[in-house]
Amino acid sequence: MRLRRFVALLVLLCPVLLRADAPGVYAITGGTVHPVSGPEIANGTVVIRDGLIEAVGANVTIPPDATTIDVKGAHVYPGLIDAQTSAGFAAAPSRRGGGGGGGGGGSSERPPEPTPDSLAVRNVKLTDDLMNDGRSIGVTTILTAPSNGIFNGQSVLLNLGTGSLESRVIKSPAAMQIAFNPRPTWTYPDSLMGVIAYLRQSFFDAQRHGAAREIYARTPAGLQRPEDNPALDALQPVLRRELPVVFIADSELMMRRVQTLAKELNVRYIISSARQGYALAPELKNAPVLVSVKWPTAPADKEDREDQPIRVIRDRRMAPTTPAALAKNGVLFALVSGPGKAGDLMPGVRKAIESGLSADDALRALTINPARIFGVERQLGSLERGKIANVVVSDKPIFEKEAKVNRIFVDGREIRLPADDKKPGATPASPIDGTWSLTVSAPQGNVSIQVTLKAEDGKLTGTYSGDRGSGDIRSGTFDGSAFEFAISATAQSEAETTDWVFNGTLDGTSMKGSVATTLGKFEFSGSKSE
Amino acid sequence: MKKIIALALAFSFSALAQERVTLIRNATILTITKGTIENGSVLIRGAKIAAVGKDIAAPAGARVIDGTGKFVMPGIIDTHSHTGVEGSVNEISLPNTGMVRIGDVLDGSDISAYRQLAGGTTAALILHGSANAIGGQSQIVKWKWGRPVSEWPVAGAPRTIKFALGENPKSANFRPPEGTARQYPQTRMGVEEVIRKSFTDARDYMAAWDEYEAKRKRGETAIPPRKDILMDTMADILRGNIDVHAHCYRSDEIMMLLNLADEMGFKIRELQHVLEGYKVAPEIAKHGAGGGTFIDWWGYKAEAYDATPYNVALMVRNGVLTSINSDSDELARHLNHDAAKAMKYGGLTEEEALRVCTINPAKQLRLDNSIGSIEVGKDADLAIWNGHPLSIYSHVDTTFIEGDVYFDREEDLKRREAMRKEKEELLKKEEEESKKAKAGDKKEKTK
Repeated sequence: MRLRRFVALLVLLCPVLLRADAPGVYAITGGTVHPVSGPEIANGTVVIRDGLIEAVGANVTIPPDATTIDVKGAHVYPGLIDAQTSAGFAAAPSRRGGGGGGGGGGSSERPPEPTPDSLAVRNVKLTDDLMNDGRSIGVTTILTAPSNGIFNGQSVLLNLGTGSLESRVIKSPAAMQIAFNPRPTWTYPDSLMGVIAYLRQSFFDAQRHGAAREIYARTPAGLQRPEDNPALDALQPVLRRELPVVFIADSELMMRRVQTLAKELNVRYIISSARQGYALAPELKNAPVLVSVKWPTAPADKEDREDQPIRVIRDRRMAPTTPAALAKNGVLFALVSGPGKAGDLMPGVRKAIESGLSADDALRALTINPARIFGVERQLGSLERGKIANVVVSDKPIFEKEAKVNRIFVDGREIRLPADDKKPGATPASPIDGTWSLTVSAPQGNVSIQVTLKAEDGKLTGTYSGDRGSGDIRSGTFDGSAFEFAISATAQSEAETTDWVFNGTLDGTSMKGSVATTLGKFEFSGSKSE
Repeated sequence: MKKIIALALAFSFSALAQERVTLIRNATILTITKGTIENGSVLIRGAKIAAVGKDIAAPAGARVIDGTGKFVMPGIIDTHSHTGVEGSVNEISLPNTGMVRIGDVLDGSDISAYRQLAGGTTAALILHGSANAIGGQSQIVKWKWGRPVSEWPVAGAPRTIKFALGENPKSANFRPPEGTARQYPQTRMGVEEVIRKSFTDARDYMAAWDEYEAKRKRGETAIPPRKDILMDTMADILRGNIDVHAHCYRSDEIMMLLNLADEMGFKIRELQHVLEGYKVAPEIAKHGAGGGTFIDWWGYKAEAYDATPYNVALMVRNGVLTSINSDSDELARHLNHDAAKAMKYGGLTEEEALRVCTINPAKQLRLDNSIGSIEVGKDADLAIWNGHPLSIYSHVDTTFIEGDVYFDREEDLKRREAMRKEKEELLKKEEEESKKAKAGDKKEKTK
């Protein structure tokens, strides 16, 4: 009898002993609760048990076994969902193979191009820093996939929690992701029109592959055996309209092309990026939209700004109105980081709110809308009984500039946020950090480019904009004085891009060196902007 | 922000006010096909030309344009354009990329389209580059600037494809990056072989599908052959469903292609550039191919040394359906000048000179039923010039496409000031906002 009781006790204790970080029972009390599924609740309580939400309301009885967390004066939200990132994947590779005179570092770093059967969940490498970037602004769930290649592969929706990657997956595959990235010159397809033809052929191939398999399965005798092809197999759920396609499309033209192509291919689809959504908002109702909040920025140099055509300046003003325009037109949309480099999405969200989006709509666009878009609205996206306990506590309304996320729960476990001084981004500034105005002396005249650089552990990251387009810099290195990085420069008359590899040295607030291009080497100099 | 939208809309569409009935009167009408009418009128109803003649009364509600001292000419048609293409015009990767389509990547924001309207050009054949023997499927458009680019393709126009011969497709001017193997073909022999093999492959492809269809009809179980969009394209050329426009220079390669087309059983619709066309003009005429050429561009590469400005006149006199085209955003704005030069070099008549940039290219595009001349029932694609269009001193006042005004010189001049102001205001606002934001950041830091 005694022994039996002891065994029973042991059995009860075992899971606790083995899993020290097992989700507990919490009652978050005293805060203003924003359930998203209903009106906000002043002085509300959220009860979390075993990774799920047990109760939400104003008059909730606090279970005796709960740890009470008093958050008086703070705001409680469902965890935010960033439904388009490339977190945990290497940056998109250089456009051109070999890279001219560019030191040759690029090609060896080039990640392999994903195929339709590439599963993001198998290849994603999320560091704590990456996850804390999201958590520190209230993001508990991300969708991620590589940003390189045409078929980026099958994306994964996962929680930024603890434990094995597999245990954090919400949905895999979440979608088939397709981008219109031409391959390096001399590899088919190396143009935008080639990419579209390639997609068309891939879908015809997938159809034929499916049909051939079916016919062969029924009557193998007398028929040639169809080839094995995992990539075409992976497209079958897309053809059956079970798995949606996320098309990365930023401009009005690309979005319209996507609409035409999706109709032609007869696929269920989602548009992602959508910078110029403002231009066709009423026509975007047929498919959900993931709006990247990386809004275009103005060149730092006044002359550069004045040189831009009015079309570009108007677009820069209008882009942040896209979310408001979509909301007004009843389009199901989410706010996202977008493919490529992640970073803090809150400034972009605030800009959308300043440009006419209501804070309520912004919150939905980061919670229940992305959950709906990816078919997980029964699990995520609001504070409701039975849903996954992703809960965020912010000292102020979460979109306010001064707001700070105090506590964050993922799958019912509290994740400790790194102290402010340990936060990524707070590493001591390098002398190269900041915005630089560069002038390249090209034979056809001076070319102005602005770069914003950041050095960390010898690596240089950042963005560029100016006369030759804009984007992220690549293959950047910095040793304290010498630096190197590459950009994809857009040719003046043609829409082609070629690599420009900058090699230079830093001297206080000025820098100089040379740029290797396909047309030869040019000198450049630059100075640090305020 | 609302104001910006309103302004943006106003700028895009102010030129497109619905002017459904327009009468241009008391102008010199260069009909091209039906002679010149002094003190004549053109009545436009909807998208079409409703009447052309001497005494046409203005219908009630019609917009009446006084054409005193002015000339009305059909819209210029440019059969060699690279305007309005997003991304590279060359899919360089393979010797035959006939599966790619310009129609997939049209860019309606290319300002060059608007500038061409200002030069009286209304329609164009947008082609691929010439990096490979078969570049891809081209697109016939009208420059409907301000309308969604999906409305630019000419409905019912023939499908077209671009071939290229000579230096470019043998990679003389397109070098692969160092360390990459040079791409086949590297000689004119190779270019011929690429084209021939593409057609023999297409015949095999068609046979495989025929065999499959036959099996199915007999009720046999069969796996369908692979649907190959490149082979479909080649097969459609053999079926006569796609017109071939071929970039070429030298007489030997021109003869090669005409012979190859005869051998394979398809037609060359138009030889592009065709700078040595004068050497083999009777042979080109016999094949039934047209020629679209430059009047006085030559010597810019090895295969362009034997050119002559008399090429246009010599081809016309030898019965070749000849046009002058641009291959250039710049030249496309004043093709009338190049047409005029054909009168100086080789003595074309005024009407013949006008034909090389209007009805002849319309015929090359097989659109002469709807464009290329001022005739009742044709599309109202025309321009009002302030003087004779073959004079260097003349310019376009108004350009119509399908009855709508797409360029108006007066409107354009008026709009410039408003646009300058708008830009100034936008930049000023932007600057103020960025200052404010910076000030806010500083405040925060000092907190």
